[in-house]
Amino acid sequence: MAHIHLEDGALSPIWVLFWWAVAAALIAFALYSMRREPASVKRLTVGAMCAAVGIAAFMVTIPVFGVHLNLTPLIGILAGPAVGGIAVLVINLFSAAVGHGGWGVIGVNVVINLIEVMVGYYAYRSLKGSLRIGRFASGFSAATMALVASAIIVVVIIAVAGIQDSHLEEEETAHNLVFIAAANLIMGVIEGFITAYILTFIGKVKPDLLVEVERPRKDSEEAQPSSS
Amino acid sequence: MSRRTYTKHVPDVRMITHYADSGSSIVHGMNPWTKAVMLFFVVALVTVVTDLIVLLAIYVFTLSFYICGRLPIRLLVGWYSLPLVFVVTLVIMFIFTEPGDEVASLELWSTKIAVTDNGLILMVKLVVRALAVVTFSLATFMTTRYNQVVYIARRTMPAVIASMFLLTYRFLFVTSDELTSVLDTLHSRNGNLVRGITRQTKLFAGIFGHAFIHAFERAERISKAMESRGFDGGFPITERVSRPSASGIAAISVSIAILAVAVANRYFGLRGW
Repeated sequence: MAHIHLEDGALSPIWVLFWWAVAAALIAFALYSMRREPASVKRLTVGAMCAAVGIAAFMVTIPVFGVHLNLTPLIGILAGPAVGGIAVLVINLFSAAVGHGGWGVIGVNVVINLIEVMVGYYAYRSLKGSLRIGRFASGFSAATMALVASAIIVVVIIAVAGIQDSHLEEEETAHNLVFIAAANLIMGVIEGFITAYILTFIGKVKPDLLVEVERPRKDSEEAQPSSS
Repeated sequence: MSRRTYTKHVPDVRMITHYADSGSSIVHGMNPWTKAVMLFFVVALVTVVTDLIVLLAIYVFTLSFYICGRLPIRLLVGWYSLPLVFVVTLVIMFIFTEPGDEVASLELWSTKIAVTDNGLILMVKLVVRALAVVTFSLATFMTTRYNQVVYIARRTMPAVIASMFLLTYRFLFVTSDELTSVLDTLHSRNGNLVRGITRQTKLFAGIFGHAFIHAFERAERISKAMESRGFDGGFPITERVSRPSASGIAAISVSIAILAVAVANRYFGLRGW
């Protein structure tokens, strides 16, 4: 969840079930979207590869910042929202297995990561594809927007649901989460820069990976019927 | 076994696989369905139970389960650091702001900061809950072989998610090896990865960029190979997992009973729990 995963027991059973239901609906929609689109085997392997890189990436701590990367907005940009959505579910399943976030809170963690994937994808597509802004600026803006949005949503979700066994009101809980929000915002900007550099690097070395997401919306809408 | 990982805090998947494949403890011999169902009950229990003593009892049970699997305690302690950091980061402010009696206080620049008993209890409860689930989860995966995980994944998840989950598991070894090799190379050439912020950002962007490019190239090759072999979305199941034995069913029944009592106590206020 952003850069702070929730562990089991942080949310009450009602909220755990609620977020599982929301996540299940979103994942069902992602599965439906994947089935409608062609070349499913390739999309499956691309999703699995993205998930593998995402898991491998969080095992690497960046020395100066002392943080690890999420790369969820980047996964969204490269794999698209549907495949990216399934990939973040898989990342969360693996993470839960090794204690990097709980099993019961996979629902809420998936919802947050899905927001990062979708905001990352659609923001990048709008900025680079439609508005023709540079790759670095588009990548930085899209990833930062996605991670800032998720950082704010993390605070809202926890403030509304409350930490289990806490007697504080919503407002007091939100105040207590200011430091987490601030840390997530700073990390969001750092990851925004790294994502922008990665996209610039990929654009130079293998630009065909970005063709689809950087295609102007009109072109992609015209191209869609012929591809299917 | 992994030759090298770049964190001591995140469990190495290769290490988990090694213990699952090579162990011969009583927990290794348990039916995987029983372990999976019990993992579900441990997660449900720590979510429902609010009594610290009961939570501690659940933790002791999960730790005993881990020890019965003859799994390394020292590694487990190292792996605890990540969930501990997550919990402490989340509730560090609550130990000062939660209403309750003062346990300790400090005056800084004429501002009094006090740790309350309820704040401390809140943090301890969340830590115990997190550690109980992490311990049982790791014990389950470190004692269940890959073939058994494949079977359970195929039976419990939608086909696309199960396939992506299992493909990710396979690709993870290659991907993490690749990342490790690049980092090893960097270490061998520069001695240290700590550089200026801009330089380091570019450095890591190159490393992860390479990882993604290779991942996409590999995905393309593998998908062609899979299609040419007639991949139909299913994974070959080489080992079927039988239903739980009588003792397994007994363990599951006891878990259901305990969860039912916990739910009843929480929502209907049973006395004496």
